[in-house]
Amino acid sequence: MTATAHRDVSAPAPAHSDVKPHSPAQLVRLVAGREISTRIRDKGFLIGSAVIILLILGMLVFQVVINSGADDTRVGVVGGDSAISGALESQGEALGTNVDVVAFEDEAAARTAVEDGDVEGALLGPSEAQPQLLVESGGGQIDTLVQGALQNLSITTQLDDAGVQLDPPPTVEVVALEADADADLEAAIVALVGVVVLYSLLILFGQFVAQGVVEEKSSRVVELLLATMRPWQLLAGKILGLGLLGLMQMMVIAVVGVVGALAFDVVDLPGRLIGTVVTVIAWFVLGYAFYASVFAAAASLVSRQEDLGSVITPASLLLVVGFVVSIQAAQEPTGTLSTVTSFIPGLSPLVMPVRQAAGGAEWWEVGVSALLMVIAIAVIVRIGGRIYAGALLRTGGRIKLREALAAEKA
Amino acid sequence: MLEFDGLVKAYGDNQVLKGVSFSVAPGQMFGFCGSNGAGKTTTMRIAMGLARADAGQVRWSGRPVDEAVRRRIGYMPEERGLYPKMKVGEQLAYFARLHGMDAGPANRAAETWAERMGLGERRGDRVEKLSLGNQQRVQLAAALVSEPDVLILDEPFSGLDPVGVDSLAEALLEQCRRGVPVVFSSHQLDLVERLCDAVGILARGSIVASGTVAELRSTTAGRQLRVVVPDASPGWAAGVPGVRVVSEQRGDTVLELAPDGDDQQVLAAALATGRVTHFAWREPTLVELFRDAVTTPQEVAA
Repeated sequence: MTATAHRDVSAPAPAHSDVKPHSPAQLVRLVAGREISTRIRDKGFLIGSAVIILLILGMLVFQVVINSGADDTRVGVVGGDSAISGALESQGEALGTNVDVVAFEDEAAARTAVEDGDVEGALLGPSEAQPQLLVESGGGQIDTLVQGALQNLSITTQLDDAGVQLDPPPTVEVVALEADADADLEAAIVALVGVVVLYSLLILFGQFVAQGVVEEKSSRVVELLLATMRPWQLLAGKILGLGLLGLMQMMVIAVVGVVGALAFDVVDLPGRLIGTVVTVIAWFVLGYAFYASVFAAAASLVSRQEDLGSVITPASLLLVVGFVVSIQAAQEPTGTLSTVTSFIPGLSPLVMPVRQAAGGAEWWEVGVSALLMVIAIAVIVRIGGRIYAGALLRTGGRIKLREALAAEKA
Repeated sequence: MLEFDGLVKAYGDNQVLKGVSFSVAPGQMFGFCGSNGAGKTTTMRIAMGLARADAGQVRWSGRPVDEAVRRRIGYMPEERGLYPKMKVGEQLAYFARLHGMDAGPANRAAETWAERMGLGERRGDRVEKLSLGNQQRVQLAAALVSEPDVLILDEPFSGLDPVGVDSLAEALLEQCRRGVPVVFSSHQLDLVERLCDAVGILARGSIVASGTVAELRSTTAGRQLRVVVPDASPGWAAGVPGVRVVSEQRGDTVLELAPDGDDQQVLAAALATGRVTHFAWREPTLVELFRDAVTTPQEVAA
């Protein structure tokens, strides 16, 4: 160590490097970039994302299994001909099930197949006077099916033998008074699934924002950050970065869900499905802007992760209320509760998409609700930003809301 | 020139700063001393825009320090702060970028500074995994990584082992040689005395003494002379005009001379007693100056 206090102090000012200060937008982008790159490598985040996607896929597969189980009936036949198969199939159509006819050589083979559950029943000697139906246990639908098929066949044969020619029976035209009811139900279910995802992501990313704010406060790194930027830039970068990540995740889930639903043929109206998904995503953006600002401002009041729960509970409760109401709205989209709450900022992102999907909302209602939400976001961002800026550099216990609002950049 | 001009700050009824003024030239190392709670940290936080002065301002090159200027200042807060879960290298690159560097140069600078702070192998580790001493190095690297024009460091040496102190001191001196004004606060006055071109002593909200250590010494009231005369009889110096005997022990005498006192007369008187084995002005250490300044501020005009 050769340091001494006697040096030439008239050294020239440092050569100003290639370094130019960033614009506010660049700083916001830098902060956002850090948030994204930190979170995207976070194990908790990755596992959470995988779980949500697996849940969606699981739900789709479940749907497919349920549907396929209900649709197919396998009937074994010993000693039948094409007339028998045709009669069984058309009877199946009438009963709303797909009939697969499997021919067996003899009774023993058919018996084994029934016992193994390969077929639901086996018809023995259909052309004989006393046909037999083998089933594993008591009748059910297959009973009706086979009975009906043989009756029809027998009537046709007898009429033919008697030389009677029947006019084809008239076809009944079906006029549905509520043509969209099924589609509305389907869309409401899609919206409900969407709202579950939306609610989970709002909670998840709201938490991320809150934790990030407290992490910066508790580690005191905020002091270094604020030496280079203003509080609003830090806040904006954090919210935008995490929001972008949330939106990306929402999109991935939406694409997986929609593609899966179409591939497995779970929905009847792809157009409405996509419309509903887009609506949910749009409401996610509004909901996130609202809750992220609230969570950030609340989190800035405390300096330790342990204290976080106490300050973000009120906002979380609002989210839970919105979620509960939205489930109720799916059952009763035109009810007073869902109509009123779909206009309340903070609740509307969860309730309105369900109402919209269920066909219970006019376009102007959606417009008004969205407008109210945007106004609320503007107010929250202003007040929240002030709380955040006022509270950020004060550490120690929990800061009172009023103090934070009164504190200028201390 | 980095100028702190008449900073005034009160927190409620507590008047923390009552007009703090000093300036630091480019390439100068300024040691900022003061008792606990004297207002050193507040002064630095005002410079960094983390606190707002009730009056006064901080200027760099004649221009009030604003956000653009602040991005060219390397800062180390008293309460250390880093992202605990971020890797060392990424963290340094991030701070370099916040101070205005582009991605490429920022990454290179992060690599260079990690290397220079002896953290080359720890670049990929999370900060929370590092020892406190190493975290301190990362903290300093974060202040230096953007090659700042000005350095403001709050207690940069606290918590460092002697080797760490030396490498930090070397790094700061190198910044001074680049022409960077360096302000740092410290309680380790021997270190300040060794490193600093100029010293400012803050007490009760204002600078009670500032200048080079030599200047502080010369302005200290009462100059002291130490004379060792083994053969002298007690009270040998009492008769010399303008001299007050501070202490005398078997010929080892400390004398205080009035401003008109003549050291040559003292020498003559000493020689008259016999052998003189030591005759020198006694230089007060910074610790003594500090104690003096902090306890009797009115007498020490800066």
